[in-house]
Amino acid sequence: MLLTATVFGLPLAYILARYRLKGKTLLAALILLPIVLPAYAGAFAFIVFFGKQGTLNLLLLQLGLITKPVNFIYGLHGLVFIQALHLLPFIVLSLSAGFTNIDPSLEEAAEVEGAGGFKRFLTITLPLCTPNYLAGAVIVFLWPFTDWLTPLIFGQIDFLPSISYINIAYHFTDMYRKYMGIVSVVVSSVICIVMFLISKRWVESKKYTSLSKGTTLEGRIIEPGAFKRFWSYVYMVLIAILVLLIPTVLGLSAFSRRWALTPIPTYWTLDNFKLIFLESPGLLKNSFVFSGVALLWGIAFGLPAAYLITRTKIIGKEALDFVITLMLAFPGIAVGVSYLLAFWEGIPLATLWIIMPLSLFVRRLPYFVRMAHASYLQLDVSLEEASEMSGAGKLRTFINISFPLLLKGVFVGIVMFFIMAFQEISTAIFLYRGGWETLPIGIFLNWHRGMEFGIAAAMAFFMIVIIFILLLIVSRIGGGIIGAAWGSSGGRY
Amino acid sequence: MAFIKIENLFKKFGNVAAVNHVWLEVKQGEILTLLGPSGCGKTTTLRCIAGLEKPDEGDVIIDGKSMFSQGFVPPSKREIGMVFQNYAVWPHMRVFDNVAYGLKIQKLPKKVIKKKVAETLESLGLTGLEGRFPGQLSGGQQQRVALARALVGNPKVLLLDEPLSNLDAKLREKMRFEIKSLVRRMGITSVYVTHDQAEAMVISDRVSVMNTGNIVQVGTPEEIYKKPATRFVADFIGTTNFITGEILEVLKERGLLYVHTEFGQKMLCKIPDPAMASTNNKVNISIRPEDIEIFTEPREGRDNLFKATIMHRAYLGNFLYLFVNIDSTMIRVQAPYDLMQKEGEELFLFLNPEKCVLLP
Ligand SMILES: Nc1ncnc2c1ncn2[C@@H]1O[C@H](COP(=O)(O)OP(=O)(O)OP(=O)(O)O)[C@@H](O)[C@H]1O
Ligand SMILES: [Mg+2]
Repeated sequence: MLLTATVFGLPLAYILARYRLKGKTLLAALILLPIVLPAYAGAFAFIVFFGKQGTLNLLLLQLGLITKPVNFIYGLHGLVFIQALHLLPFIVLSLSAGFTNIDPSLEEAAEVEGAGGFKRFLTITLPLCTPNYLAGAVIVFLWPFTDWLTPLIFGQIDFLPSISYINIAYHFTDMYRKYMGIVSVVVSSVICIVMFLISKRWVESKKYTSLSKGTTLEGRIIEPGAFKRFWSYVYMVLIAILVLLIPTVLGLSAFSRRWALTPIPTYWTLDNFKLIFLESPGLLKNSFVFSGVALLWGIAFGLPAAYLITRTKIIGKEALDFVITLMLAFPGIAVGVSYLLAFWEGIPLATLWIIMPLSLFVRRLPYFVRMAHASYLQLDVSLEEASEMSGAGKLRTFINISFPLLLKGVFVGIVMFFIMAFQEISTAIFLYRGGWETLPIGIFLNWHRGMEFGIAAAMAFFMIVIIFILLLIVSRIGGGIIGAAWGSSGGRY
Repeated sequence: MAFIKIENLFKKFGNVAAVNHVWLEVKQGEILTLLGPSGCGKTTTLRCIAGLEKPDEGDVIIDGKSMFSQGFVPPSKREIGMVFQNYAVWPHMRVFDNVAYGLKIQKLPKKVIKKKVAETLESLGLTGLEGRFPGQLSGGQQQRVALARALVGNPKVLLLDEPLSNLDAKLREKMRFEIKSLVRRMGITSVYVTHDQAEAMVISDRVSVMNTGNIVQVGTPEEIYKKPATRFVADFIGTTNFITGEILEVLKERGLLYVHTEFGQKMLCKIPDPAMASTNNKVNISIRPEDIEIFTEPREGRDNLFKATIMHRAYLGNFLYLFVNIDSTMIRVQAPYDLMQKEGEELFLFLNPEKCVLLP
């Protein structure tokens, strides 16, 4: 899967970083979109489109190109396909950051030495990008260890997280399965953390970038020839279409009923939405309340934590940084399970709704701290010192100077935090009780029951719309939708 | 009277002693510069005075009050104005709010604030820019805003860390004089950090030359230039020639001594410090290019007149700059622009013993 994402991501990153193309920004925004879409939404959409009775098969049958439905998607290849698409942005972002940051003179030097185009790319450009690539690759590589839902949707259960989920989901009936589940959770957590630490070491030991400071320039931009330009467009558009399929298909299913056996729906209706709003407004309310509460805690805890890590020398700050970083690698399922176990009986917390936002908060905190930390690093210390020299104490300085200047960066972090919390399922699914269902849980349950695909799709579509609106707000403030996507990648890493 | 006293200040980062047991006094109302090459500890010293850095040892006493040894006085309570190298003007506040910030914190009445800010902006030629954001100002204007912000509260002490290093050469020259006259007029005790010796000469009442965390010499610009205490100071301030040699004979009653130089001839030199004047001592003689006199003819029986060959000759408008060789010792000389001799030709250098500075 890492391989697939890399093979597809490499040319894409190069195109984005180096070629001057019209409409690049828009296409880039589309290509990077999956970063904020939940993986399960994509999985649903692709099943509808590429499935055995999906649009593509039916179209091909009608055209007489095939006689039997082709299995495009069910099975391992489908899983790899959808996860690769979902994770593509991470690779693209990290690589294109690498491409952009390379000091042009390094490549020019190789050119002068006589290294031709492709050779130069292999011997100079790529090695220089290794640290960036690794940063993205870890996320991609670890993903299958944490995502249990997507394999399940594709009927693949031979993945550690999926096994854990199934086992734990049935733990009420069978104690033995519960322990099996816990064991597999522990195994995948350990794998994740070990991998994460190794790669972190590796990335740090391989940083060449510090040699020439991060160029603020655009890097090396090439005016591509007609041939290259054409194929770049084809390639980008193709991937953009795949991405756009997700909301389109979900939208179609959302507004229709009993869509089956026809390429596009035949019966249009708003019933699905009516159902959502009439019967379960609680889902929406829960989603907003939980994410909102988690967000408030995130701000209240994350900002001071970032401050401590960046600006003070207190003992234990390395430990704090380390723990928070480590939480990044911790699979959501592990958070859910450990909370479940920790608070199940005896401690009344698990019976209070507060546990839901608490788990969301814990899960997403590291991203927020990272983002706040990054913004802090960009804030020149002397701005704060100047305020102290003017007679303001530390707190005053923070309120008057640091906070307003951090706000933009932090705001992007806040919205990203909210989006992530909003679509969170892998932790929440273990903890929810009747009445605490969130939108993603609703989607999952409706899908699980099999019959209500329209409702699940409508919910997913609705969620995408909400995410989209939030993204728009971010891009207004953060400058370009790419900036928004960047924010999230900075946050995730 | 010493207004700021730095006593035995010591600060290390890791294993590097950035400031190495420094003692220094700044008199009331004077402008003192900390001058030295990059990394010598100027900024660290300044930040200790400001309270932005806590020293490992020693103390800073401002106006009779200890800043460290009797409990740490935070920067916000020291009544110090500071201008940062990168200006550190707050980008999210207008010029007025930047300058008024400290006054607002003191909770002065609105009217007073307005008046003070207007006065300060006026004295720096910033009137009319109150409503602009820093992003809409030129580098020079931002620099003035930073200065205005530091001065508006009538601080006891003004600290400036290379405030002109981001400006272009012309503006830098002009601002040197402006800052000097403004600070003079206000009578604020100031410490000015720079690595530019010309800037230090122009701006300061006294210069304190630093090297690798130590203060090497403190004195007026003239003293530093004319009587450098070490080879380092002589080399760092202006341009000079070094001639190495060994003391041959001391003529106590005349206050002179003979040095046997590297180019094998006797040279007469003033005795700066009796402690140094003992025979066989190895010494450096420093003489500035503009202090060397040129003769085209030899004069019999005259001391310190050496035959030299012109290696390079550069025309600099109002004078000539020559690189000449005495034997194989390269000497830089400033010569009158109407000198006829060309490269490869000979002339005679008179190194006036009064102008020769003997250094260890
Ligand atoms: N925060 C710090 N952490 C580690 N080392 C530091 C720190 N600040 C200064 N140093 C070290 O202390 C020494 C003195 O630094 P300082 O900034 O005082 O030099 P400076 O004289 O101001 O130089 P410059 O003219 O380049 O500004 C240097 O070797 C520097 O590397
Ligand atoms: Mg400095």
